[in-house]
Amino acid sequence: MSQAVTKGKPKKYKMGRLERKNTLIAYSFLAPNFIGFAIFTLIPVILSVVMSFTEWKGGALSSMQWVGGANYASIFSSAKVSAKMGELGFFGGLDYFFSKVDLGIALKNTIFYTVVTVPLSLICAVALALVLNKAVKGAVVFRAILFFPYVASMVAICVCWNFMLMKNGPVNQLFMAFGSTFNKSWTADSTMAMWAIVLVSVWRNMGYYMVIYLAALQGVPRELYEAATVDGANKWKQFLHVTLPQLRPTTFFASIMLIIGCFKIYDTVAIMTNGGPGRATKMLVIYIYQEAFSNFHYGVASAIAMVLLLVVLLVTIIQFSLEDKYSNN
Amino acid sequence: MQTRYAGERRSRFPIGKILIYILLIALSIFTLIPFVWMISASLKLDREVFTFPMKWIPETFHWENYSVIWTKVPMLTYFKNTAIIALCVTLIQTLTSSFAAYAFAKLTFKGRDVLFLCYIGTIAVPWQAYMLPQFILMRSIGLYDRLLAIMVLQAFSAFGVFLMRQFYQNIPSDLCEAARIDGLSEYGIWARIMLPLSTAAIATLVIFTFVGTWNDYMGPMIYLTREENKTIQVGLRRFIQENSSDYHLIMAASVVSLIPVSVVFLALQRYFIEGIATSGLKG
Amino acid sequence: MKKLCALLLAVMMLTSIVSLSLAEDSKTLTIVAWDANTTGYLTAQKEAYEAAHPGVTIEYIDVSSQDYDTKVAAMLAGGDTSDIFMVKDIPALLNWYEAGYAENLNDYIAAANYDLNGFVGMEVNYKFNDEQVALPFRSDFEILFYNKDLFDEAGVAYPTNDMSWEEYKEKALAIADPSKDIYGTHYHTWLSTAVNYTVADGVNTLVDGEYSDLAYFYQLVQDLEDAEACMAYNEVSAAGLHYSGAFGNGNIAMMPMGYWYVATLITNIENGSYNVKNWGLAAMPTKEDVKAGSTFGNLTGTMINKASANKDLAWDYIAWLSGEEGSKVTASTGNRPAWVSEGVADVMSAVEGFPADEVSKASLLPTYVAIEIPGTALSSQISNILNEEHSAIMTREISIEEGIENMNERVQELLGE
Repeated sequence: MSQAVTKGKPKKYKMGRLERKNTLIAYSFLAPNFIGFAIFTLIPVILSVVMSFTEWKGGALSSMQWVGGANYASIFSSAKVSAKMGELGFFGGLDYFFSKVDLGIALKNTIFYTVVTVPLSLICAVALALVLNKAVKGAVVFRAILFFPYVASMVAICVCWNFMLMKNGPVNQLFMAFGSTFNKSWTADSTMAMWAIVLVSVWRNMGYYMVIYLAALQGVPRELYEAATVDGANKWKQFLHVTLPQLRPTTFFASIMLIIGCFKIYDTVAIMTNGGPGRATKMLVIYIYQEAFSNFHYGVASAIAMVLLLVVLLVTIIQFSLEDKYSNN
Repeated sequence: MQTRYAGERRSRFPIGKILIYILLIALSIFTLIPFVWMISASLKLDREVFTFPMKWIPETFHWENYSVIWTKVPMLTYFKNTAIIALCVTLIQTLTSSFAAYAFAKLTFKGRDVLFLCYIGTIAVPWQAYMLPQFILMRSIGLYDRLLAIMVLQAFSAFGVFLMRQFYQNIPSDLCEAARIDGLSEYGIWARIMLPLSTAAIATLVIFTFVGTWNDYMGPMIYLTREENKTIQVGLRRFIQENSSDYHLIMAASVVSLIPVSVVFLALQRYFIEGIATSGLKG
Repeated sequence: MKKLCALLLAVMMLTSIVSLSLAEDSKTLTIVAWDANTTGYLTAQKEAYEAAHPGVTIEYIDVSSQDYDTKVAAMLAGGDTSDIFMVKDIPALLNWYEAGYAENLNDYIAAANYDLNGFVGMEVNYKFNDEQVALPFRSDFEILFYNKDLFDEAGVAYPTNDMSWEEYKEKALAIADPSKDIYGTHYHTWLSTAVNYTVADGVNTLVDGEYSDLAYFYQLVQDLEDAEACMAYNEVSAAGLHYSGAFGNGNIAMMPMGYWYVATLITNIENGSYNVKNWGLAAMPTKEDVKAGSTFGNLTGTMINKASANKDLAWDYIAWLSGEEGSKVTASTGNRPAWVSEGVADVMSAVEGFPADEVSKASLLPTYVAIEIPGTALSSQISNILNEEHSAIMTREISIEEGIENMNERVQELLGE
């Protein structure tokens, strides 16, 4: 059918009808999910896009006031930043943005956190899935154990970890046995607080994405390995030329979900550090939450969310086109 | 499974295997330590929880902590509500998203990529940003303070569609082509080829949806108000706030809330082994 | 959007018709409150009012305290028709008012000839643009809790109601004994318990953009931390240590905390979950140039929802709740009502489990109570900034001077916009 659509167009009229029919079939597949999705998620999201251009205090919807790009100007602190740029040059202004402006700091923190957490989580997840996909004794138990962090309630988890990472806690004691001189609670230190959040996140993500990879590995046809073995490929080559390409759609999914998840991190930070010390772990969603539910600037909160959305969409589209390129090859 | 690497030299296995085991055990310990602490704390007295040097094994085991929590909040009602929501959501989510994912993965139609980006885009918007418009909308169609509200919110999430689409992409399109030539309709292909070939994927989606719904806090917190409608996570937070200094009880409640999800996981994970790897290309 | 609004209106009308028809048989007042099951005074207030007004039922809608503002924002935006909302903090009330949900009480007050004098001026914090939009029923001020047994053991004289901060520091240092795990004082992680005392002079506020006056109090806390006379902020925050358990544990000699802690303390000592036995209250210490007995505090109140169908009944309830009668009920549960009179103070000190000494009793009537943070359009943004810098100072990631410089710079920038 897809061939019929893509190959040659001798009789335009007839093809159009077939195309319409195909599209109808496709829509019938989509409809049950899409209707619910559109009503309960898409429409509210679109409303929030609109909201980012308005000032709204949470009153009647008719009390929304169109303010154009004012919310964006305010979160980017554009007047101040451009003044600084005039004064200190482009990079001076940029430096000001990323070290003084809330949005800049939150962006910097979130991106740093994402760049560290995503690869670490992915590598751990793939490695664990590969190991546990084989007939290792006790695989069932190991899998369950590694998935546990995802299942447990965040509040309890974060209390546990905060305790583990305290000044005299077990983690510091372990590190000190290896000669570390760091002697402070992790969450009370500007640098280590971020690593505490990374640690907890990787710890939590690892098992989750391992499960996805495990499921994906079930879909790799064994014949491919047999063929590779016949060709004399060793284990490493099998991994590179059979397993990895077969896992590409899953990696696409996992990396996008991880990136989005990292950009949206809230719970862990809110419970462990609440953005502190100072603004050292202030993330985008912490900032959004502050603007929405403590300052009641719903328009501003939506504008920050749109910045987040744009960054994520950009990354997604790049990955999307890369995936298309690979799967067409 | 073992035949997968049939061509390998077996002599190398012991060393490699031992290394793998050491790694696995180390990682498992890393994973489990907070839980061990959680369980140990749940059996202690309040004031013993944060003492230094820490004791992994409580001096006396205070099992009564586990009975106290049932009397402090109506846990049973919370459990029931959460179970109802989680089951319904899982059912709807798995069905509709595997259906929609088939269209995204194996059919060509107008606006496919844009629509798909829409799905992903909504995942990227933090819920805090569209929470109010969503609430106003839900309330206007009479879905406030009803379990149904959480069901419809969770059941049509974009996550499931995305996950299933990626799994379906793994299944060779030739299979579908062959089936089409054999005269199978698209619905037939979905039911007879895609579904049986994706048991592992479906098991994954079921686990994730169940866990996700079970652990959802903000949704039920905002949408469910009456006592008889509240869910386990709302109860847990309420419990934590009402007993904000009683960490032993908090830990006990957390351990209890962990059990049902673990059962679901253990029950479903055999599908990761008895998957479809062997049926592969045979169609 | 228009259709949506129309739909919304229709639903709102429908629900109000339903609640109206219900109201004819037996009147029910719905009150949105936080932690309704564990907050003792709510039950007492409900029972007292229902007993005095047959045919009226009070129903609480319980919202978790931590997410109260978030959930109420959603409820109100969704057209909720609950009659009364409890007011937790002033910035949130200001927002409800600006969004058009708060009923202006001026006419009710005038019609009932309601006497506002009992609030000793605190009610102005609920007044925006000359509209009184809520009435306070609780007014918690910061007060010093102390453990008499620890003072006796160390042979240190009990705190008095006219103590200076220097004397307070001396006492804390004298009692502290790190080897026995005994602390002279305890600071919870909040900004308010550490440095909010600066507003007690009636001149400084936390919204003026000038924070050099906080340095004195930060220095005091850090000196005490360095001498191990109090637990370090880092440990308290990492362990998520709750102040109630901390003082209840019995190894802390003094703790500045809001008055609400009295009720918690009495209940927990009674049911045996705390180690602390003999305790007392004293007024917060003051700086030399500030009148003894000055402190800061915060209000809890009630707002009538504009969408309520029972506004008159709602007014009757909140007028009762905030007035003399309701205040006595609130006081009888160990809480401090906003309405202060001799009669109410007698009820407060007569609560079972309340310390019997004269100093504790006298501390119930502070000479001056400043508001913790005044309700201005920018106060929540300012307090976010202050809290961020507070955590940086308290974790010692930056010096006190740097922190205060940041506070000044950031708040002034905000005020200048």
